Amino acid sequence: MAKFFGLDKLAYLFRIMKENGGIRSSLYKLYRMDDLKMGTLMGIDKCGNKYFENNRYFFGRNRWVEYAPKYGTDYDASQVPSEWYGWLHYKTDLTPDKDPSRPIYKWMSEPTENMSGFSGAYIPYSTTKPKIEAWVPPKPS
Amino acid sequence: MLRSSLIKVLNGAKVSPKHVCVTFRAASDVAKKPEKIEVFIDDQPVLVDPGTTVLQAAAQVGVEIPRFCYHERLAVAGNCRMCLVEVEKSPKPVAACAMPVMKGWRIKTNSDMTKKAREGVMEFLLVNHPLDCPICDQGGECDLQDQSMAFGSDRSRFTDIQFSGKRAVEDKDLGPLIKTVMTRCIHCTRCIRFASEVAGIDDLGTTGRGSDMQIGTYVEKFFMSELSGNVIDLCPVGALTSKPYSFTARPWEIRKIDSIDVFDAVGSNIVVSTRTNEVLRILPRVNEEINEEWLADKSRFAYDGLKRQRLITPMLRDNKNELTPVDWEAVLLTVCKVLQQAGPNVAAIAGGMADAETLVAVKDLLNRLGSELTCTEHVFPMDGSGTDLRSSYLLNNKISGAEEADAILLIGTNPRFEAPLLNSRLRKTYLHNEAQIAVIGPKVDLTYEYEHLGNNATAICNVLNDNCPFSSTLKNAKKPLIIVGADLLKRADGAAILSLVQSIAAQTCNKVEGWKVLNILHKVASQVAALDIGYTPGVSKIREAKPKALILIGADEGAINKEDLPEDCFIIYQGHHGDLGACMADAVLPGAAYTEKQATYVNTEGRAQQTLVAVSPPGLAKEDWKIIRALSEIVGHKLPYDNLNEIRDRLDEVAPHLTRYGEVEGANYFKQAAQLLQEDEEKTLDDSPIDLKIKELQDYFMTDSISRASPTMAKCVQAVLKQKESKY
Amino acid sequence: MLNPLKCFGKYLGRYAGIRSLHSSSPLSHDSLFVHRDSPEDNPDTIFEFTPENQKRVDSILAIYPEGHKRAAMIPLLDLAQRQYGWLPLSAMHKVAEILKLPRMRVYEVATFYTMFMRKPTGKFHVQVCTTTPCWLRGSDEVLEACKKNLGIGVGETSKDMMFTISEVECLGACVNAPMIQINDDYYEDLTVDDTNEILNDLKACKKPRAGPRSGRFAAEPLGEPTSLKGDPPGPGFGVRADL
Repeated sequence: MAKFFGLDKLAYLFRIMKENGGIRSSLYKLYRMDDLKMGTLMGIDKCGNKYFENNRYFFGRNRWVEYAPKYGTDYDASQVPSEWYGWLHYKTDLTPDKDPSRPIYKWMSEPTENMSGFSGAYIPYSTTKPKIEAWVPPKPS
Repeated sequence: MLRSSLIKVLNGAKVSPKHVCVTFRAASDVAKKPEKIEVFIDDQPVLVDPGTTVLQAAAQVGVEIPRFCYHERLAVAGNCRMCLVEVEKSPKPVAACAMPVMKGWRIKTNSDMTKKAREGVMEFLLVNHPLDCPICDQGGECDLQDQSMAFGSDRSRFTDIQFSGKRAVEDKDLGPLIKTVMTRCIHCTRCIRFASEVAGIDDLGTTGRGSDMQIGTYVEKFFMSELSGNVIDLCPVGALTSKPYSFTARPWEIRKIDSIDVFDAVGSNIVVSTRTNEVLRILPRVNEEINEEWLADKSRFAYDGLKRQRLITPMLRDNKNELTPVDWEAVLLTVCKVLQQAGPNVAAIAGGMADAETLVAVKDLLNRLGSELTCTEHVFPMDGSGTDLRSSYLLNNKISGAEEADAILLIGTNPRFEAPLLNSRLRKTYLHNEAQIAVIGPKVDLTYEYEHLGNNATAICNVLNDNCPFSSTLKNAKKPLIIVGADLLKRADGAAILSLVQSIAAQTCNKVEGWKVLNILHKVASQVAALDIGYTPGVSKIREAKPKALILIGADEGAINKEDLPEDCFIIYQGHHGDLGACMADAVLPGAAYTEKQATYVNTEGRAQQTLVAVSPPGLAKEDWKIIRALSEIVGHKLPYDNLNEIRDRLDEVAPHLTRYGEVEGANYFKQAAQLLQEDEEKTLDDSPIDLKIKELQDYFMTDSISRASPTMAKCVQAVLKQKESKY
Repeated sequence: MLNPLKCFGKYLGRYAGIRSLHSSSPLSHDSLFVHRDSPEDNPDTIFEFTPENQKRVDSILAIYPEGHKRAAMIPLLDLAQRQYGWLPLSAMHKVAEILKLPRMRVYEVATFYTMFMRKPTGKFHVQVCTTTPCWLRGSDEVLEACKKNLGIGVGETSKDMMFTISEVECLGACVNAPMIQINDDYYEDLTVDDTNEILNDLKACKKPRAGPRSGRFAAEPLGEPTSLKGDPPGPGFGVRADL
């Protein structure tokens, strides 16, 4: 009966909202991520991003990341570290903590996020000589 | 050397009857004014003077005959044979460049015989010319390329490559300006003729004979002349090309902007070639009145100085006493504060490359602030009429007028390096007009013979008082010319010397209408405009006034230094190069060089000309007058012009000739100027020897902020010094 | 040396279908037309006209009218060459100085004429004519004899600076072919033996007799005249009788 009237969906919505920490928090998440989902927390990476899975959703939408609160609305896909990348993109079903076969070498560097458009953006140095050489004032002796 | 025979004849040495006959005939020719003769070029009738060559006659009806060796400003050589044309009833084709026309000749410039002759000549030229057009710098502007397309055969019979090959000639090292690939040479001998006739440096010649003939210097010697770059333009093929420009660009890639040269006071007309906002080379532009089609080496090759040592951002001296880059707002506000505090205690010094627009803007600004201290770096005597009468500071007789002179007196000037193109005219006069030339000043090599009258003011007195033989020559000459150097008038007794020279000029019997004897030769491009606008020549007034703020407009010659100024004087340098001026400045306003602005310059004749924008000013640099205009608004004395037309209107108000571009505004108040100068108090002459700043070629190349920043010019100086040590 | 290479190149070209190798020809003249400093010939080489030659210089200059003194250039260069044996750079400079001309104008003349020797030349300059008439009459043998006798090749100078051999074009004595010119003298109608005799005489500091060696006085036919043997005919010879 409740199913017939769609009340179970309403109940599910309430459950999602409860899971996400109440009305206020849910509205904020909706605002921040344009989506409100409920799922199992699979793990948290070094940056504080949370990874969820809920197979109730269709493949492709069943794994997602909730970026750490410190990023605010400035989150970006490159903030996902490489160890979680594989799981998130269905390259593997094992989360990093459950996958012992992952190689770890000394030379592997920490993942860095893409800084294009910000002050930390990578700008290669120019290989061409400047057309005009500026005058450098002599240092006062 | 070219003239020696004629000198001897004139000096009354033993003259053979043949000579007398020739000179007599020449004289009678002039007297009679022979009637014109009629010839037919491709059946078009044309009336020409007797003695006109076939080529010139054809040019009169607009028929261009191909040529390699012929050049209208050089002697006829007639050795390339490209100008062969058929003349009716002549069994053989004739060389049009050397053959004077005869009455009734029917010349066929497009007949089968002519075409065949051209094709044959072209084929022979190409037998020994390498097929390296793709790697040749002349490609695209090569006479041989163009003419082989237009007049050559459409197929080649040259199949000998595998057996004996083409002629190969060793390359010559002609110095840091001219690159040689002598295998490409077609032996037109234009460079040799230029060197010996125009430049007066007989270092080039042909050695060997037949197919082994080479053009060169025989011994290892640089071709060092102040006009050497012109052989690059003269060379019809890629044998002589520009070393700094080598492998830079193709002629069809570059934009050409007509402009004016500012390295000397001649104001040569130039074409600035640019690509991607970069000056690639500078070529002369024909102007019969000024530079004909030549250009001095400094004007032609110093352009790489425009890319080095540039001021590209405003700078302010910080509390560590270092000049640090700031933005325009900061520098303008600081300068404004300084100017407001200084009030009327402001002065300005204009350097040698300042344009008229900037000069008038600075003067207007300073006048509004209550100051009259606008000075130029270069001195000119202010006694008597001073600079009120233009005739006392112009090269009154014009540059082209020098060609007609028959007696020339050069006082305290070295025109060869101060104005190379004027010197080439003087040499022309010497060669073709039998002019008698005398010099007072240091003994320097002027490329022509002259009588050295002395090296001090006494020598000038001698000419005035008939104490030397040249004074009678000068006084009896029909068209006498006196050229006084600006360097000489810088001395303390400059006014006294000017007065003496004015007296000499007044003594000459000057019968020719419009002929002006007295001429002043300036050394820098801005001087005449500055004096026209009303700047005070010399900086002594500023030394006395002890200003609180000093604006240097490209003043880099060290006319004034920090010791001459009070401790708290704030120095503002506005210019395009970091040189002496910028080093002592407290604030630097980056301006535009002459290739980067549309600006007015007045040359030593008083001819206003304008440069055009070839490239944009680098970095944050701005056009000079706009900086002053912006500053005036912040200071609170807004100048009433917002664009180029409005400031040109202001120029027109100050002196109308400043905007009559291309024309000389003559001046003719010699008598009044002389009277005023004589009425002044008694002047004493200093009898110390006359000294010139530029005496030899190595002094010529680096004289201003642009050429001092130019690596090519530095190489030239090195090359001249190396040449001096060489035994050849 | 390049010939085998060239042949190889052609062979390659023909059989492999690729372009053949080719080299540009060396300078065809045996002397250089640019100056190279050498221990014998450099601007520091001392050259002064001797007092007697100085007198000759003055008399040569006196021939030419004022204003045309530069025409004395070739005689002066020749005089310098006669004095020095060849024409060093400093001699050209000296001539330029005498004539008050730019040095280049003298270089031009000195390089144009092949008779001005711009490199060290022996006391006896043996010039063997090898142009067609002399060649037909055996100049190859004469040249070979010279080379063998003197032990030097064409264009070379013997170590004692006595002899230089050069191969020259027609010297205008074709009727007495083959011939050689040694300094100012023509030796004509030569055989190999005559050549050796002349050279040996010169080596022994004797002056060989100049002129034809075949017993001829000059260019007359050898032996009897073959034409114009009779008395010269008088006036009216061969004219029509009725005139």
